Amino acid sequence: MKSIVYNMGYFLKEAKTLFKIDLTSNILSILSIGLIFFILALVISGWDIMSFIVETVEREAEINVYYKEGLSDTEISKLLEDIRSVEGVGDVKIVDEEESYLRMKDILGDEAHILELFEENPFSPFIEVQINIAESDVILSKLKQVENIEYIRDNKRVLDRLNDIVSVIEFVGILVVVAVGISTLMVVSHIIRQGIYNNRDQINTLKLLGAPQPFIDFPFILEGFFLTLIGGLIASILLFVLLNYGYGQVELAIPFIPLPAADSLIRSIVTFTLVTSAILGIIGSLLGVAKQGEGFRG
Amino acid sequence: MIEAKNVSLVYENGTVALRDVNLHIEPGEIVYITGPSGSGKTSFLKLLMGIEYPTTGRLKVMKQTMSKINASNIRRLRQNIGPVFQEFKLIRGRTALENVMLGMRFLGFPPKKMHEYAVEALKNVGLEHKISSLVDNLSWGESQRVAIARAIARRPSLIIADEPTGNLDIDNAMNIMDLLVSFRDQNTTVIITTHATHLIEGREEGTFIRIDNGNLSIERKGEALV
Ligand SMILES: Nc1ncnc2c1ncn2[C@@H]1O[C@H](COP(=O)(O)OP(=O)(O)OP(=O)(O)O)[C@@H](O)[C@H]1O
Ligand SMILES: [Mg+2]
Repeated sequence: MKSIVYNMGYFLKEAKTLFKIDLTSNILSILSIGLIFFILALVISGWDIMSFIVETVEREAEINVYYKEGLSDTEISKLLEDIRSVEGVGDVKIVDEEESYLRMKDILGDEAHILELFEENPFSPFIEVQINIAESDVILSKLKQVENIEYIRDNKRVLDRLNDIVSVIEFVGILVVVAVGISTLMVVSHIIRQGIYNNRDQINTLKLLGAPQPFIDFPFILEGFFLTLIGGLIASILLFVLLNYGYGQVELAIPFIPLPAADSLIRSIVTFTLVTSAILGIIGSLLGVAKQGEGFRG
Repeated sequence: MIEAKNVSLVYENGTVALRDVNLHIEPGEIVYITGPSGSGKTSFLKLLMGIEYPTTGRLKVMKQTMSKINASNIRRLRQNIGPVFQEFKLIRGRTALENVMLGMRFLGFPPKKMHEYAVEALKNVGLEHKISSLVDNLSWGESQRVAIARAIARRPSLIIADEPTGNLDIDNAMNIMDLLVSFRDQNTTVIITTHATHLIEGREEGTFIRIDNGNLSIERKGEALV
């Protein structure tokens, strides 16, 4: 341990020499690792964003209950009471014609002028019901038994679709993580083996001088560590640029879509990318240096 | 320090490098090995460092039985040896000082001591002015002296020098010989091979081994022990 600290300067210098001896291969490795990690970071971001959207939609889960036309005020308040008494139901609130009209106008924004084509307000009043999404099936079946309800609009289908998308992304994500892991390990261990081959004379001399295997291996492990770490950094920078740009575009195009805060998303993905790249670099170079330990005869 | 009983070395291709070697070397002994090219001098040194293994017989170096030694013991053994290889085996692209220190980095010297010993060793071989030169730019004789400095700087208990004066002029060669011999005062065993019999003819003390076609004849001079 002490000798690692004493020799840190030497090890770093050796790693740098290893890098310079085979400059082209090392740079190509960094670039390919960078791209591999960029793909990883993209998939993970997609995964993160989709889960965030689903969570948000779930948290804001509400259903719209349309009731029969021509109900009297007392019938309406009884209906409200009946709905409130169903377990799992939160806020219940009437949205009248005026408000539905205004809401649609809000959503349409610049396009709101098409509403002026209608001579009469085309919207009907409805009851907005906040529910606990986990119990939505039970709640819906109970509501169906309530009197005077004509039609219930829920966003269950939307949620199901979103959840499908999330599981596809999750599946692709796992594949990508595995692929990234394997290819990074391949690239790193291969370049380390190459470095060991290029340095076989020096390694042989060190063995003849009685150098412990970890002492011989350490510069190579550092090399692998830095290769992937720099690759991870490149991926992080690309991701940073892309997400910042992409967020701006999305916010312009579909302003009402719920997105996680860009800062924290980027921070967590960059951390993940760097940590993963560092770990894979170390494992890859350990694989690279393995199995050459027994040739001590020199 | 070294004990050989009926040791022989036959290479894989059938070349018999050493025949029936019997030998006993004490700590602090100085040993000169001479013999024509191809007689088996380097082969004998390879046995001592565990680069080759005896084909038959029993060889013990620093209490280790060489035919049974494992990887970690061989490492420990080599850490106690200061080798000067016939072909130097310096690390290209590094300075003389870096090369000397490389032999010491894993031996637990504190960084300051390591630097001090390395500089001192380079001074002792007359290379203080080449400390920061890349070994790639050194002459053969200078490279050889860096190899010697690397061997002595690590304070080994056994110095094994294969033709350490092969590329040196007579003055330098004599100085290096005297330097190597001086280590016996610290109870270091020194083994030197050489073609140049004139470098050792005048030496009064030591064990003189002559190898001819793998056969050893041994003569001890002076107050040589045993
Ligand atoms: N690895 C090997 N495989 C087969 N034969 C070898 C091997 N190494 C050395 N030899 C042979 O063994 C014999 C002794 O070689 P060795 O290197 O010990 O001689 P030497 O006395 O050191 O010679 P020199 O003075 O030229 O250095 C030679 O015939 C050589 O060709
Ligand atoms: Mg030789």
